[in-house]
Amino acid sequence: MNLGQTDRRRRLELVAAEYVLGTLPRQARARMRRAAVADPVVARVIDEWERRLCGLAEAAPAVAPPPRVWEAIAKRLAFAGGASAGGWWMRVAFWRAFAIASFAAFVALGVGTLVSREQPAGAIVVVLAGSDAKPALVATASRSERALHVKAVGAIPLPAGRALELWMLPTDGAPRSMGLVDANGTVTLPLRSPSGTFLADAKGLAITLEPAGGSPTGAPTGPILYSGKIETI
Amino acid sequence: MADSTPAAAARAARNVRLGELLARTALADQRAFAELYRQTSSHLFGVALRIVRDRPVAEEILQEAYVNVWNHAGSYAAARSQPLTWLTAVVRNRCLDLVRRREIDTVTLTSADDDHSPAMDLPSGEPSPADLLLAGADAQAVRDCVERLQGGTRQAIALAFFQGLSHAELAAHMHEPLGTVKSWVRRGLERLKGCLDALGAGV
Repeated sequence: MNLGQTDRRRRLELVAAEYVLGTLPRQARARMRRAAVADPVVARVIDEWERRLCGLAEAAPAVAPPPRVWEAIAKRLAFAGGASAGGWWMRVAFWRAFAIASFAAFVALGVGTLVSREQPAGAIVVVLAGSDAKPALVATASRSERALHVKAVGAIPLPAGRALELWMLPTDGAPRSMGLVDANGTVTLPLRSPSGTFLADAKGLAITLEPAGGSPTGAPTGPILYSGKIETI
Repeated sequence: MADSTPAAAARAARNVRLGELLARTALADQRAFAELYRQTSSHLFGVALRIVRDRPVAEEILQEAYVNVWNHAGSYAAARSQPLTWLTAVVRNRCLDLVRRREIDTVTLTSADDDHSPAMDLPSGEPSPADLLLAGADAQAVRDCVERLQGGTRQAIALAFFQGLSHAELAAHMHEPLGTVKSWVRRGLERLKGCLDALGAGV
């Protein structure tokens, strides 16, 4: 049993090494990639080999790519300047408007007639979007409120045993945990100070994928899934 | 890595800077992404060109790779690898997928003339892969370990790494039996790992 495991580990080391070196045939490459997605041990062994070998690539003489490469990238990602710029801003703008409207509704419900038909004065809205720029969560608070309401726009797929953790990204310094958010509903996270003060020097919020119960270290350990800038309305 | 040379310090500073640019890219910061491209694209284009040996194809791969980086910058984990290592792996993987796919066509087409290896000679004046292997090992530990590899082993590792040659292409290029080349590659990798791990470097 023990021998078998040692043997398997040796084989994994070798196949991962040849994967990174590049000598694996096509089908074996594809198998290795699938295995890395399914098995964190495989992924780690590949990472280790990339660290061992990829530094060597620094020696390859640099060759400046022609400007058309960047132009094509900027065009495909619909960056400003291109005719299609603004595609995802449209969507974010929509969700911001949606958030403001639902926030107004929330305040109207919670505080009754005090605010009646007026927009809440001084509120904070953060639209958290993934790498596809699709808004996934919306965080809102009135500036004087010691809480932040975070609502998932739709159900967020979450692997078993994992949690979504919200972080405040200060302009300087390390991200600060604000708590776990719900993948499928709304949570209200308490703040130590009014949201306007608490978020005054934050450049944004981000959500990472963490083990159930949240990051064990107090710092983000998983990938950033969603992020957004803080907007004051 | 216990390497305190000025070159190592410059590398460390650059990695910190690239790490910041990647983090800001993950937050959809277009200017950070443009800067990341400015600082890394020449390096990555050089890596791609050597493997695919075709400018338009290398341009295509570079474009795909950066679109991928923009979309997946959030999955870069600083704890696991350095930014340039990660970016290099993204580009090399795309190149290798392509040449391995292409290889099947090539093998079918050229199986008749066995002694003809695909055109893989570098333009004159270009450093050879074996030179690069030593030059790239700029951290002392890695250089020591690469130097310890012997002739055929070092050559096979270098050709595979820098030019993306498969076992069959290595055998054709080095005029050696396939089995010999395979065992050189395997032995070379095992020795590199043993050496780097013993020196506490690399991982």
